[in-house]
This record gives sequence, structure tokens and C-alpha cells, in this order.
Amino acid sequence: MNKLSVVVIAITVFTLTAFKPYAGKLVSKDAHISFFSHTALEDITANNYKVVSTLDPTTGDVVYSVPMQSFEFEKALMQKHFNSKDFLNTKKFPKAKFTGKITNLDAVDFDKDGTYEVIVAGDLNIKEETKPLNEKATVKVEGDKVTLDSKMNVVLADYGVTFTKGKPSTNVAKEVAVTVKAVYQKE
Amino acid sequence: MKKKKIKIMVSVLVLLLVGVSGVAYYLFNMPHRNIQEAKTDYSFSSSEIVNEYLADATIANEKYLEEEGDSKILAVTGKIFSIGKDQNNQKVILLKDTSEKAGVSCTFTEATNRSTKDLEIGQTVTIKGVIRSGAGFDADLDMYEDVIMEKCDVVNE
Repeated sequence: MNKLSVVVIAITVFTLTAFKPYAGKLVSKDAHISFFSHTALEDITANNYKVVSTLDPTTGDVVYSVPMQSFEFEKALMQKHFNSKDFLNTKKFPKAKFTGKITNLDAVDFDKDGTYEVIVAGDLNIKEETKPLNEKATVKVEGDKVTLDSKMNVVLADYGVTFTKGKPSTNVAKEVAVTVKAVYQKE
Repeated sequence: MKKKKIKIMVSVLVLLLVGVSGVAYYLFNMPHRNIQEAKTDYSFSSSEIVNEYLADATIANEKYLEEEGDSKILAVTGKIFSIGKDQNNQKVILLKDTSEKAGVSCTFTEATNRSTKDLEIGQTVTIKGVIRSGAGFDADLDMYEDVIMEKCDVVNE
């Protein structure tokens, strides 16, 4: 092996290792999403502990994949209604998805413990409708743990969920409060 | 004669009213399905259900998911890949062969959590639960998602 090839190999190895992209995408397989609907007649809460989420600290990309049949209600009948064809039609659309980005990524230092206020902007897809969503969120870094908390209001009619008659039209709010909490573990 | 007729009509109406409100009351307070006491619809290995989903998710959803959310009850046998818990303190066991792209994520309940106490990674177990969603590659997440089962418990042979 001559000197030149040694140098070439050395440079190649150095460049490949030095500029290898940081593959530290954060994954949470058991994120929690709940929603709350308030009307004068009834308060309704549903919880889902099976949300899959990724957060890429280098690009700020945030994704949530929500298995719709995992929403649990206190009352079995409400859960049936929620899943049915008339409302969320979860057999045909088993997952809802949010894809977005932290728009002020500079505000977060993933290597330093602390609480950072961020803005997440993206698209929420439920059934066949996709609508933009722009929300405040909190990123908390504690050692190897990163937590993303957010609260938002979702207008049901935006996603083709409308109640025109019967109990749901009077007992379900037109706008529901959605709470999101994902706990990611650094590799 | 007329009085008797009215009496009968009133009693019928009252009975009807009681009946209807009884049914309405039952529907409103209907309990959730008890997954562990219900009949198992399908029994197979974790790789079988995962591969069925990877082959054609639409066909698999048609087969396993139900319109009102009371989807199929599965008994899945597989190797324990990981043991964890969710934000509701429910145990989560992932059944997955190291060679597979995705597995079956099984969430237990407050009542069944203790069944996982003696389980170890690498051990083969059968877990019964209700399917919530299937496996597949998600381009946005850039990873494979597992089959999701909830209301799980370990099946003791």
C-alpha cells in the first residue's frame, strides 16, 4: 500500500465518521392523549395510552400516530358511538396522525436539563380531513428523558365529525380540549 | 266498560314507559366488554399476525377490527422482547422475534398487571387481549409500528 492510498483511506474514514448525521431520533411508544368535552349537560373524558410518537432533536420534526380504537371512555355506549361509522369510523380509519415541526428549535437545548417553551406547527389528519394546527408546547429535558406536553382545542366539524340530532348533538361539545404528553427516552 | 278500557290503556302505557326507560338506562350504563372472560376469536404466534398485517393491512383491518370498536379478541404467543409500563402505570409487554420488523405490543390493566411479575425477557408466553390496531411501516415516523392489544392478561395453559 503506498502512502497516497493510506492518506486517502484516512481522510475517507475521518470524513465518514466526523460528519455522520446524529441518529438520535427520540421515540415514545406509549404517549398519552386525552380529550375533554364540556357541555352544560355532561362532561366527557377519553384517554389513549397507546400513541406512538417521534421527535427529531436535529430537525425538530414531531410525529404522532394515534390508534383510534385505543380511546377509552367511562361509558361503553359512548365508546361505541365514538368508534361507529357515524362519528370516527375507526374500522375504516384506524389511525389519526399529526406531522409537524418545532418552529423555534433554537430555543431548546436537548443536552441541557431544563424546560423550554416551543411552538409546534403542522397538520392533523383525522378520517379523510387534514387541517393545519399551530400550538404552544413545553419540552422538558431531564437527563435521558425528554417530555413534550401540549394542549390544544380541536373543532370536531373540521374533521367531518358532526352531530345533528339526538343526545350527542346536545351532550358533546363542538370543540374539545386535547391534551398530549409524550415521554421519550434518549438512546 | 269505558273505565276498564282506560285503565287497561293506562297500565299498558305505564308498562311501556317503564320498559323503554329500563332499556335506555341499561344502554346508558352498559358495562364495558370483559375481554378476559369473552371467547378468544383467533390464536396464533406474534409473527403470524404481524406478517398478515405487513402483507395487506386493509384486508387484515377488515378481518380484525369491528365498526363499534369491539374488535377481535386474540391469544398471541411470542417471545418477550421488552417489559415496560405506560403513563397510566399499566404494564406493556412487547412480543417480538428478534428477526421480525414489528411485534405485538400488549398493554395490561390495573387488575392484570401482577400477572407480568415473574415474566422475563426472552421467555415465550401467550397473551390474550383485544386488538386496537395493526402493524405496518409508517413513512412519517420512519419506523415499523407494532400490532396493539389492550386489556391483556397472560394465558395459563
